[in-house]
Amino acid sequence: MKSNKKASSEERLRRVEQKLVEIIANFGYLKGRSAKTSEVIAYVYIRQEVTQQLLRELTGYSLGTVSTVLQGLEKLGVVSKHSSQNERGYVYRLAGTPSQVLSQSMADFQGYLSEISGFLEQVEAKLSKPSLSKKQGYSSLRRFLDEMNVLIPAYQQVLQKFQTMRLDSRQERVGAANE
Amino acid sequence: MNSAIEFDPEIRQIEQEIAKFFAEKASEYTGRHPIVSMLMSYFYVRRSLTQRDLRNLTGFSAGAISKAVRQLVDMNMITREMIPGTHTHIYKMETLPFRSPSYFLQTEKTLETSHKELKEIKESLDAHSDEVRGLEGYKKVYAVVTHLLEQISTVPMFMALIEEELDKFIKQTKEKR
Repeated sequence: MKSNKKASSEERLRRVEQKLVEIIANFGYLKGRSAKTSEVIAYVYIRQEVTQQLLRELTGYSLGTVSTVLQGLEKLGVVSKHSSQNERGYVYRLAGTPSQVLSQSMADFQGYLSEISGFLEQVEAKLSKPSLSKKQGYSSLRRFLDEMNVLIPAYQQVLQKFQTMRLDSRQERVGAANE
Repeated sequence: MNSAIEFDPEIRQIEQEIAKFFAEKASEYTGRHPIVSMLMSYFYVRRSLTQRDLRNLTGFSAGAISKAVRQLVDMNMITREMIPGTHTHIYKMETLPFRSPSYFLQTEKTLETSHKELKEIKESLDAHSDEVRGLEGYKKVYAVVTHLLEQISTVPMFMALIEEELDKFIKQTKEKR
C-alpha cells in the first residue's frame, strides 16, 4: 500500500517535471532553437547533471541525436563535460547556477552584437563602391544597413546600462539582507 | 515580388555573405537553428517573401522552409498573409526584430501564460508537499519553478525600461545625423 502511494507521488513529480520541461522548451523554441535542443536544455536546466543515457530515456531521442545536441550545448557554454565517477561515459553539467547561466546569456548577446557591428563595417565597405549604387537590390541592402547602424549601437548602450542596473539592484538586495 | 533573380550578382553576393554570417553567428551565440537564422536574414533585407522565394534563395527543401517559416511566425518575427487572388501566402517582416526588446526576451502573452502555469505548478507542489518533498529530484524541480517565477515577474518591467531607453538612444542618434 505504502509503495503504491510512493509510486503515485513519483508519478506526480514526473508529470510536474514534464510540464516544466514543456514551459522551458517553449522559451527555447521562441528564441529560434530547434525543438530537440530546447527540450534537452530544459532537462539539463532542471536536473543540472545528466548523462546521454538518461536524456535518451527522458526524451525518447536516439543516442546519436542526444550526443549531437549535447556537443552543440557544450560549444554554446551551457554545459560542461566531465568523466563519470560511477559509470562509463560522461556526465554533462549545467555551466553554473540557473542565474549565472542567464547572466552569461546576456553577456553572450553583447558579444553577438559586437560581432554584428564588426561585420556590418565590412558590408558597408563593400557596398560603398560607387558602381553598386544603381544596381538592382542596392536600396534593400542600404535600408538594412542604415537601420542596423542605428539599432546595434543603441542596443549595445542599453544592454550595458541594463546590466549595471541589475548589478546595482543585486548589491542593494545584498546590502538590505546584511542590515 | 523580390525574387532572387532580381538582385544584381554583386549585390546578391553581399546578401549571401550576410545570410551566411547570421546563420553561423546566431547559432554560435544564441543556439538558434541555422536555417531559422538564415531565413531571418533574408527577411532583414527583402522584408516580403514567399516560401518559393525562400527556397530559391537558400536552396533548402520545401519541408525545411515550411517548418522554419512556421517557427518564425510563432516567434512573432514575421506575419503571414494570403496574396489576393492566389492560394499563396506571403510572409512579411514589418520592422527589424532588433527594434524591440521582445527580440531577445519573450512576448508578453507567452510570459503571462508561463507565469500562470508555473504558479499552478508551485501551488500543486505546495499542496502535496508531504507526499513529494522527500522524493529524489523534488528540490531541483521546486528550485527551478521558484527561480523562473521570480525571473518572469521582473521581465515586463525590464522590457519596458529597455524599450524606453532604446527609443531614447535611437532618437538621439537620428538627431545627431
